[in-house]
Amino acid sequence: MSQNDILLSVENLSTYFDTDDGTAKAVQDVSFDIAHGKTFAIVGESGCGKSVTAMSIMQLIPSPPGEIVSGKISFIGEDLLALGEKKMRKIRGNKITMIFQEPMTSLNPVHTIGEQITEAICLHQKKAITHARQIASEMLEKVGIADPAQRLNEYPHQLSGGMRQRVMIAMAISCKPTLLIADEPTTALDVTIQAQILDLLDELQKTEDMSILLITHDLGVVAERADDVAVMYASQIVEKTDCKSLFSETLHPYTKGLLQSLPQLGTDEKRLYTIGGNVPEPLNFPLGCKFHPRCSLGSKSQICQTREPSLKEVKPGHHVACWFAEGYKDERAKK
Amino acid sequence: MKKITKQKDWGVSYGQLVKQQFFKGLFNRISLSFVMLLFVFAIAAPLVANDKPYAIQIDGQWEFPLFAALTANDYSVFLAAIVAVVLFFLFRRNSKKVDPFLRPSIMWRQAVICSVVLFAGIVTFQILIPKKLNATDYKFMLETGRATNAVFAPVPYGYARTDIKLRHLPPSAQHWMGTDDVGSDVFCRLLHGSRVSLSVGFVAVGISSVIGIFVGAMMGYFGGKVDFIGMRLVEIMMAVPTFFLIITIVAFFPRSLLNIMIIIGITGWTGNARFIRAEFFKLRGQDFVQAAISLSLPLRSILFRHMLPNGIAPVLVNITFGVAGAIFIEAALSFLGFGVAPPTPSWGQMLSLSLSTTGRFFWWLTLFPGMAIFLTVTAYNLVGEGLRDAIDPKLRKAV
Repeated sequence: MSQNDILLSVENLSTYFDTDDGTAKAVQDVSFDIAHGKTFAIVGESGCGKSVTAMSIMQLIPSPPGEIVSGKISFIGEDLLALGEKKMRKIRGNKITMIFQEPMTSLNPVHTIGEQITEAICLHQKKAITHARQIASEMLEKVGIADPAQRLNEYPHQLSGGMRQRVMIAMAISCKPTLLIADEPTTALDVTIQAQILDLLDELQKTEDMSILLITHDLGVVAERADDVAVMYASQIVEKTDCKSLFSETLHPYTKGLLQSLPQLGTDEKRLYTIGGNVPEPLNFPLGCKFHPRCSLGSKSQICQTREPSLKEVKPGHHVACWFAEGYKDERAKK
Repeated sequence: MKKITKQKDWGVSYGQLVKQQFFKGLFNRISLSFVMLLFVFAIAAPLVANDKPYAIQIDGQWEFPLFAALTANDYSVFLAAIVAVVLFFLFRRNSKKVDPFLRPSIMWRQAVICSVVLFAGIVTFQILIPKKLNATDYKFMLETGRATNAVFAPVPYGYARTDIKLRHLPPSAQHWMGTDDVGSDVFCRLLHGSRVSLSVGFVAVGISSVIGIFVGAMMGYFGGKVDFIGMRLVEIMMAVPTFFLIITIVAFFPRSLLNIMIIIGITGWTGNARFIRAEFFKLRGQDFVQAAISLSLPLRSILFRHMLPNGIAPVLVNITFGVAGAIFIEAALSFLGFGVAPPTPSWGQMLSLSLSTTGRFFWWLTLFPGMAIFLTVTAYNLVGEGLRDAIDPKLRKAV
């Protein structure tokens, strides 16, 4: 990936939350790059920091208690963290937009969907209401809603879940963003609708030329749609590579565990594989590698219990943070 | 692009659902009609109850003393009523005829034009219509034969007209509700008194809900320090018994209707603030608010366009109860002698006249103003009750 291709680059991002019980390190030292027109996926369990990463990029971390303690987020050469709120407003919702997990609740029930779409268009593109309405109608058509002029005047409760998510997408792309953050866009939808929505995102990515940051816990979605993937576990990225090698040359035991936990057709196994234990609380992460209490590889090894592995490039483009991963051995020897 | 013309194509908004539900209840309709009727009488009071005739022939010359004696305030009230009715019908027409898309901007424009007209009208009335005192006794002129052919109002007495010979008369055909200690007609004073009660209810609650909604919205949205300071303020306000606070404040300021409205208003916002705060806390975490924030919508739009309509329901109910409460407080203040200064009539003040200094008890001075207060407060409470039930989705049948 050449420097010019990079649209958004996140370097050493750390976001902490101050709680009464101590500091919750929700995102720790996370770095990744998103290329122009590509899909970057962040995978992980609930509470591993995926959404906080996205919110940090949008700078929507509620502060207090949240705070971006360190890091750099550069978007087309501009450091988002150094921009003031006023300049950030011009980017947020305009150049970077976001769609949410729950389409049932992400539209305002008291306004028609037309009013909601046009509000953003009027704000960011300085268009008159009649023109904005035209654009809104085109956008609805683009996301595959039949009879868009009619739908504009309907309230969210009159639409199905899939339609609402389409409306959310229409809202998000109506200002022609260069980066779309999709925070579990299909989690609340049933499988056929999921496929439709993902197809739609794919198609829009091509026609609108935008990059997508896809946040999901569904490895199936990742395998199909992502170009690059980062696997997050307990606030950190544990493995980062392109989509193909994540599945073919899995390095981190957590990723392996996740892949093994997927149900597969055609096998006789009665019980699904599970990774034992739970994700640690962000308030008391285990010492050493955060995954070691649940790890099959090195849970008994001393280095895993005492030292935390950092993300290292072990093969071209393939980063991993595990003392026992292939290619990480030299690092282990050094210690 | 397909043009939308049919009304049935437009979605049913939340407000319309609530309205439908509200009008299903018989008591809701009755109490709302009663409140409306009260408003009509309050607005038309000088036309209905006045000691000056509509028209009178003096020395062969026709005069119209009632209309000539109307004050700038009377004309302002009429204008406000007309503007309100016009706005009501305009808005109703909008919801049927105008494309919902353009509705907010059109309604906004109409509201602005109407308020400008109203404001300009009030200012012109105050400048153009001189304050004049017309103490002519037209009835006496009629009796002495100086004037002939007079057309009087249905209640031909003035609220400020006193006649010591007629004091403490029980209800009769001439005085439907009797007379008070200075010989004024009770029915006439009751009608004029409704103006005080209704306007106190309206303006005081207007003030308290504006303050309450604003403070509550800030507390709920920002949380943290803003919330901490706001809540301490609310708690301090709530710790002081409101009625005694009001009495204390009223004692310091001149007795005027406006002062009473403001004082009731600025002591009564805590309930609304707490309702809105609770709603906003709940809404703050909702996805559609997050979505609005992620679109960089201005704070004003997020707070008042996206959050407020979703959290206004409990406040609306509280407002109707608040109107009843404000009417009650005003009546109590007037009863204790802290209310509006005589001869301006108010229900509470009339009630206090039922016991004369000699200790005699005049039942009509208790019954009629008491009934007026009771019925008005009950009607408002029933409206509030009905509104609460209409808003509660658990009670709403599937539409």
